[in-house]
Amino acid sequence: MFAYALSDLKRTMAMLPVAYYLARSDLKARYRRSMLGPLWLVLGTAVGVTGLGILWSVLLHENRATFIPSLTVGLVVWQLISGTVIESTRTFSNNYLLIRNLAIPFGFYPLQLIMRQVVNFAHNALVILAVLLIYPPHWSAVQWLCLPGFLLVLGNLYWIALMLGMMGARFRDLENLIAAFMPLLFFLTPVIYRPEQLGFKSLFAWLNPFSYLISVIRDPLQGHVPAPFVWEGAIILLVFGWLSSLYLLQTRHGRVAFWV
Amino acid sequence: MAHIIFDNVTLQYPIYNSRSMSLRNHLVRIGTGGMISQDSKDIVTIKALDQVSFSLRDGDAIGLVGHNGAGKTTMLRTMAGIYKPISGRVDIQGSVSTIIDLGAGLDPELSGYENINRMGMLLGSTLADMEARLDDIEQFTELGEFLSVPVRTYSSGMMMRLMFAVATSVRPEILLIDEMFSTGDADFQKKARLRMTDLIDSSKIFVFASHEPELIRAFCKRVFRLEHGRLTEIGINDF
Repeated sequence: MFAYALSDLKRTMAMLPVAYYLARSDLKARYRRSMLGPLWLVLGTAVGVTGLGILWSVLLHENRATFIPSLTVGLVVWQLISGTVIESTRTFSNNYLLIRNLAIPFGFYPLQLIMRQVVNFAHNALVILAVLLIYPPHWSAVQWLCLPGFLLVLGNLYWIALMLGMMGARFRDLENLIAAFMPLLFFLTPVIYRPEQLGFKSLFAWLNPFSYLISVIRDPLQGHVPAPFVWEGAIILLVFGWLSSLYLLQTRHGRVAFWV
Repeated sequence: MAHIIFDNVTLQYPIYNSRSMSLRNHLVRIGTGGMISQDSKDIVTIKALDQVSFSLRDGDAIGLVGHNGAGKTTMLRTMAGIYKPISGRVDIQGSVSTIIDLGAGLDPELSGYENINRMGMLLGSTLADMEARLDDIEQFTELGEFLSVPVRTYSSGMMMRLMFAVATSVRPEILLIDEMFSTGDADFQKKARLRMTDLIDSSKIFVFASHEPELIRAFCKRVFRLEHGRLTEIGINDF
């Protein structure tokens, strides 16, 4: 049923080292003539977290020791999500020269985007580490659960990037549409607050798929085992997302080279 | 054993303009049930290849001729497996290198060295392979110190040298080259000729689109002419 789409992904996986190499050299190119280089990423996140953490903990009357770690993890994961979503609409159109010159599997371009975002995330993770050392949670084996959580997030972001990339190549408005709604989505997603804080309205937070992606990483890092429905939500999203993305790739792969 | 087989291939492609790329127009069209399809049908379709059949085997060196817009570049892209036909069958066997658009796969901000690795890896080589081939590429390009400065400072001739050196260093089984090859100077063309003869002798497939009869006669053994998407094979001296 998905013969082409699956072979495309298989060939993409063979190019994993290439995607990693390109992501690293992209980062190098971006900070070519700067002294701190990628440390600017870390610094930017650290400054943001400190400022927002102090400001909001006062405004929201929150206890800093629990609020700042929660905010930090939320913000860093949100950066990973929103960075991927916003850039994804341009994945194929930005690579038009490559697409029109070499028959590289289409899964490669979103993979490259995810790689780049993961490299950014790895830098920002230093800020998470620092905050967790300053405001230590209850350390236990629970923290390890953030790793499968992280993989779930990446798996979800990959299908999102593939789908939005193809749609964005065909419909150029999508890029602006998404850029317009992402800031709003930031407030609708429990990044600053936690879903429980909405009381009985927390149901609305769980209608937002990104809530699951934040919780599967944030909860374990703070020493809580995520509720079963959080895992289930993220897994259901993964399965249905991939099925629709594969369907799109299978039926439209022959058109992408004409769209870009 | 490399081959390219086209069996009754017809390729049509849409040209999208800003209206047809817009989501609003698409939604309006769905919403109105196609009532206003009159002015939203901005997608122009072009039939670039029309029932084309041929088969290329090891050792074939083809010159592709035809006036501007005859479909030469489209033909190269279809041979590379980039464009998919709407009917007919394309069977490509073998690793492909292309030189179609100048600068494809190059990051202008990165150095020549960095770009050699990137492009080679995109063509299917490993980083270790590319490092082993570096001497050969350095020698062929004759770019010397320029290889360590960003590619954005290169002239089109220099970029051509770099692209050609990498595209041939990976020892492709099928090499497809578009006409901008002629941006290189005389010295480069002489060296390129040696490389291509070598490639053809090691029984690989080579297709070269050009307007210059001189170059085609120098590199190719057979000539295909494209006219309005239709292909005919002509003699090497018949154009």
